[in-house]
Amino acid sequence: MYLTREEESIYDGSSGWANQTCIRILVRLGELFNAEKLIPIDSAHVSGVSYKTLGDAPIEFLRALADADARVKVRTTLNPQSLDSHYLGKKLPKHLQEPQLDILKQFKRMGLTQSLTCTPYYLQRPKRGSHHAWAESSAVVYANSLLSAWTNREGGPSALAAAIIGKTPDYGIHKTENRQPNVTVKIETKLKNETELGALGILLGKTVGDKIPAIKGLPTTSKDRLKQLCAAIAASGMANMFHFDCSRTKETEKLSVDSHQIKQTIEELSTAATNQPDLVFLGCPHCSLNEMKRITQLTEGKKVRAGTELWVCTSCHIRQMAGDYVKKIERAGGHVLDGVCTVVSWTEKLGIETIMTNSAKTAYYAPTLNKAEPLLAPLQDCLKAAFQG
Amino acid sequence: MDGTCTAEALVSAKPISFLGGVDPADGRVIEKNHDLCGACIKDKVLVFPHGHGSTVGSYVMYSLAKKGLAPAAIINQTADPVVVVGAIIADIPMIDQLDIRRIKTGDTVEVDGFKGVVRILKRKENLGTCT
Repeated sequence: MYLTREEESIYDGSSGWANQTCIRILVRLGELFNAEKLIPIDSAHVSGVSYKTLGDAPIEFLRALADADARVKVRTTLNPQSLDSHYLGKKLPKHLQEPQLDILKQFKRMGLTQSLTCTPYYLQRPKRGSHHAWAESSAVVYANSLLSAWTNREGGPSALAAAIIGKTPDYGIHKTENRQPNVTVKIETKLKNETELGALGILLGKTVGDKIPAIKGLPTTSKDRLKQLCAAIAASGMANMFHFDCSRTKETEKLSVDSHQIKQTIEELSTAATNQPDLVFLGCPHCSLNEMKRITQLTEGKKVRAGTELWVCTSCHIRQMAGDYVKKIERAGGHVLDGVCTVVSWTEKLGIETIMTNSAKTAYYAPTLNKAEPLLAPLQDCLKAAFQG
Repeated sequence: MDGTCTAEALVSAKPISFLGGVDPADGRVIEKNHDLCGACIKDKVLVFPHGHGSTVGSYVMYSLAKKGLAPAAIINQTADPVVVVGAIIADIPMIDQLDIRRIKTGDTVEVDGFKGVVRILKRKENLGTCT
């Protein structure tokens, strides 16, 4: 791999242990994937923030990096954490809160913004054609497919190393020739809502593996809804992007998806045998301002039923812009949790055994990560289940 | 990756996930139905096809090293990002692109991470007939 004189000097340790370790990570990964050089990035997004998924092991490494004066060189955002201080923090014991705060503290020392969201593109939209090192898989697919910003699917540690060096190895989807579709998928049904788009994602993730599908027959719909496709395709498979049209596709493998397959996928993901779930959860990936508005409209005059919780997850950034919506949702008995991801939160410690959601990604992960049975349904049906009467 | 060592080999035919698959408190493999389940990786030349699972696994490798529970070296058939990053931050010599079937558990092996060379210094004595 070609290194500039400056990079070589960092590699040899002239800028200290932290920078040396980080550039060694990037160079070794670059060698593994046949990159010829490092390229500058505009931003990084680091996953591996929730104490529930991280455990104690990473804290030592993060502290060692911060102690060795590691500082990010580009704007770097952070994925959601396992609890918030307003609501879940009050329900959970101290020994779960303190290590979480410690993790955030170490990231803060290194200069990462405490964005705590899986939707960093709502905080600052990346420019078309710009390069990034993002580690949240749903955001990776969203950025590549809907925003034309370029990023590989990083792991937590490699995104952090890229943030500290301000560069990433030039391989994979950072190269034009690797962004071409190599499988064509024809949708032979009209996908009606975000849940069906999510189910398509789960189905495609399983069938296309790490290929890039060109999807023909997607409905004209909002990015909010397509976000569900992005999250789900990344959850069940390794695809980093998809295309909408097939005009540029040469002869590729062809697949088709019909209404029966979509219905079957939703049924397979909905294993809870109840219509009164313990938790109704909206906001995976985190809600946009528009989604907050829509939830608020459907909440007017309603009251969350006893025995059911309603959680709406978003970023602190969107919450601040959504002041009135937050008030109305909370007046109806719902909880707007900012900076939290339900999938990596301690739901099982709160007695939650069934989760109803409009997110196929959540339904896909809930049985293993939350030890909960999911129910997958569109937004209106989720809210209907949350309310009395 | 840099570094040399000589130690006893611990060989697995299965991929290893350091997150959830290895107990960070004692260095034992805890993944059920794994061919190394119950074995301790501390100070061994750990030989396995490749890593899998969460990238948090890299941090687990660092934590094991800080507690003196890390393997002395790692030999992989194919390198993957989780183990590669873990070996760098935990300072574990690592070699990949090797036919790992030639190494058996109990063999004494020398790993030279600088040159990318593995030498089998001593075969484990054959105590019985294997079929």
